[in-house]
Amino acid sequence: MNKTVLAIGILITAALVAVFFLVMGKDPGHIDSPLIGRPAPTFTLRAVGSGQPLNLEQLRGKPVVINFWATWCMPCYQEHPVLVQNARMLGDNVQFVGVVFNDTEDKIQQFLNARGSAYPTVIDEAGKTAIAYGVGGVPETFFVDKAGKIVAKYEGPMDGDTLQSYVAKVMQ
Amino acid sequence: MTGSVGQFLVLLSLLVATTGAMIGFYAGRVRTKEAVEWARKFAYLYAACMIGATLVMEYALLTHDFRVGYVEQVGSRAVPMWVTIVSLWSSLEGSILFWGFILAIYIAGAVRFTKNEHADFMGDSIGVWLSCAIFFSYLIAAPANPFGLVANPPFDGPGPNPLLQNHLLMIIHPPFLYLGYVGMTIPFGFASAALMRGRLGAGFLRPIRASLLLPWCFLTIAIMLGGWWAYEVLGWGGYWAWDPVENASLLPWLTATAALHSAIVMERRGVLKGWTVTLVQASFLLTVLGTFMTRSGVFNSVHSFTQSAIGPTILVFLAAALLFAIVLLSMRIDSLEAEGRIDGAVSREGMFLVNNLLFVLLTFTILIGTAFPLIVEAFKGKQMSVGRPYFDAMVVPIGTALLFLLGVGPALPWGRAKQGQALRLLLPPAALGVLVAGAGFALGSSNFWTLLTLFFGGYAAHVTMAEMWSPVAARMKRGENVGTAVMQAQVRRGRRRFGSYVVHAGAVITIVAIAVSSTMRTSRELQLEKGQTATVGKYGVTFLGAEDRQEPHRLSTIARFRITKNGKEIATLAPRMNQYQTMREPIGSPDVYSTLAGDFYISLMNVDVPTQRVGISVYQTPMIAWIWISVILMGLGGLIALIPARAPRVAIASEPVLPGGVPAES
Repeated sequence: MNKTVLAIGILITAALVAVFFLVMGKDPGHIDSPLIGRPAPTFTLRAVGSGQPLNLEQLRGKPVVINFWATWCMPCYQEHPVLVQNARMLGDNVQFVGVVFNDTEDKIQQFLNARGSAYPTVIDEAGKTAIAYGVGGVPETFFVDKAGKIVAKYEGPMDGDTLQSYVAKVMQ
Repeated sequence: MTGSVGQFLVLLSLLVATTGAMIGFYAGRVRTKEAVEWARKFAYLYAACMIGATLVMEYALLTHDFRVGYVEQVGSRAVPMWVTIVSLWSSLEGSILFWGFILAIYIAGAVRFTKNEHADFMGDSIGVWLSCAIFFSYLIAAPANPFGLVANPPFDGPGPNPLLQNHLLMIIHPPFLYLGYVGMTIPFGFASAALMRGRLGAGFLRPIRASLLLPWCFLTIAIMLGGWWAYEVLGWGGYWAWDPVENASLLPWLTATAALHSAIVMERRGVLKGWTVTLVQASFLLTVLGTFMTRSGVFNSVHSFTQSAIGPTILVFLAAALLFAIVLLSMRIDSLEAEGRIDGAVSREGMFLVNNLLFVLLTFTILIGTAFPLIVEAFKGKQMSVGRPYFDAMVVPIGTALLFLLGVGPALPWGRAKQGQALRLLLPPAALGVLVAGAGFALGSSNFWTLLTLFFGGYAAHVTMAEMWSPVAARMKRGENVGTAVMQAQVRRGRRRFGSYVVHAGAVITIVAIAVSSTMRTSRELQLEKGQTATVGKYGVTFLGAEDRQEPHRLSTIARFRITKNGKEIATLAPRMNQYQTMREPIGSPDVYSTLAGDFYISLMNVDVPTQRVGISVYQTPMIAWIWISVILMGLGGLIALIPARAPRVAIASEPVLPGGVPAES
């Protein structure tokens, strides 16, 4: 029995298996946002349709759901009805805002006309707001509480249950 | 019905593998002819079950039998037949079944080719192979069952992962990779059997070496195909990103390459037995690690299958295989005694030793770089990544040193070399080294590592050509003409030697092409309007216009460019931006004008169809096509070395033929 081989081998095996065991089940694509627990970066952007500027700070006092999306994003088509339905259901209790980047106003208007809308959609023309929020892909959704603090972030299209569970976090 | 037949065959394979493994280990203990014969029969039976199950799945796919779970998941009536056939490996469950299929072929092949030889080792070998088979059959039977029955079968399905249909290379890369990965099971079984017996002679080294070389050839080509695919599809102008899963395919290749070299020293000098066996074991274990890395969803990578439930199962298998190998090694490594010794450092075997240490160092370097982010996340909860700078800083010097050995090693004789003799052998090839490095410098390369690589490359090329030529020259001296001499020296007698120098020639070109292409690449970003022309070096790029195209599974924006060189039109390139239904980000699909001298590569950054404006990245990379060609050369060289030397005529003449014309098995 060569004890050196055994000891080194067991050490390598134990270390490797322990590390894999500990990280298994985590989503490797998920990037922790450093913004969670911090004030939401503020923005003033032009709303599609009305052309009125919308300032995030005006919405203070109410939980806000900020959804980044684009018309060229296929999963956003799937998520849109979920957002619209929940925004209607929650009414004045929660403010939804859609932020579109890397897109044209015509296309957005066409999209909203065809698929309905229930909350303001603003255009992030130079993509600065998306950068400030560290958006890695669309759709991506941020949940901001009454005090203007980011409580959570979700990457990818949400279904109704996921959206409601996150909204519940900002309603508290 | 089809699903039930498949399910039955998988369960039967599980039963057969379990029984066969037990019989195999029993045969390894008692070593009677009957017991080994029974183990061989069970190995064939297992192969039949697994191949049958795979054929049943192909049948279900081709007949669009949506009652079968996997067909419901990846099948579609809308896709062409070839897509339907290859969708066997387009998704997790099918690819594990495909894995079992390849394992079955390898096991049956290994049993067939060893015939009645090595009876002492065959029982345990079959036992180990079938133990691995138990694990894969279990995966297919339970956690990754592709034959699950669908309660409400739909009329049509979604079709396979759209990326599979994006490029031909995506279809051939996985089978090559599996042939490389799965094949490592066979030398693992042989090496384990040698350890269980506690002895390893020259006779048994032959099947170990051959069974290692075959998957090595496939793995070599698979790694290249993966890089080529990334280059043609992913749009960042490169082919290797040190992605964890790319690394996972490289790790067993490195240890297998080391093992193929140390086996030669073992054969010649009777030393490095335990070391060679350890490397063979490590190659297999690293393929299991690679499988875990790809299938567990632990890493974020272009390769990762979606989060799957089989991760924990593979981890258990990995841990079990590691423990088995380590306990076995620690118990028996000392009984594999050296029969000879290594005389001096400045000798061929001395260089082989250094080569081995470098390969193992490279393996550890890459393994640590790959696993480090996981270690940090597991223990500190912080996210980080280890990127290019680390890998480049570590791998470039080691790779260059290996290229140096590729020249110096074969130039030195076996045994202790005298100083004068060593110098006489080592100096002449430096001329070609200086010439190649000088040519590189004249053509504009000023990077230290590139020039050093060119020097070593020229050196190694000279040595390789001289080594290929010397047996031919010896025959010609004896009065044979060139044709006969080449035929006799390379094709008939020295196939193994000739093949290994073909591999070396391929490796030299590969390393040089990697160094030149990565340090002499230029890139430009351009913004163009329709009709506008930009000049990039000798090339002119004219934007001809862009359009949207709706396809069943994706929305594509295609931009067209006319490329001119010195004012003459040479190509029209059409890079595109593809938005797949299931993905959050659009995927650019570049277009390449490729020549042996270099590639002209356009990737779309942004495109606006209404205003007809585009932003593109243009990459000019010299010599990149040589990487693909030379790696194929390496794979072919390996296959040439694998073809056994022609059997003596007596053996052929004495083979009895049974009535009916079927040759009897010897």
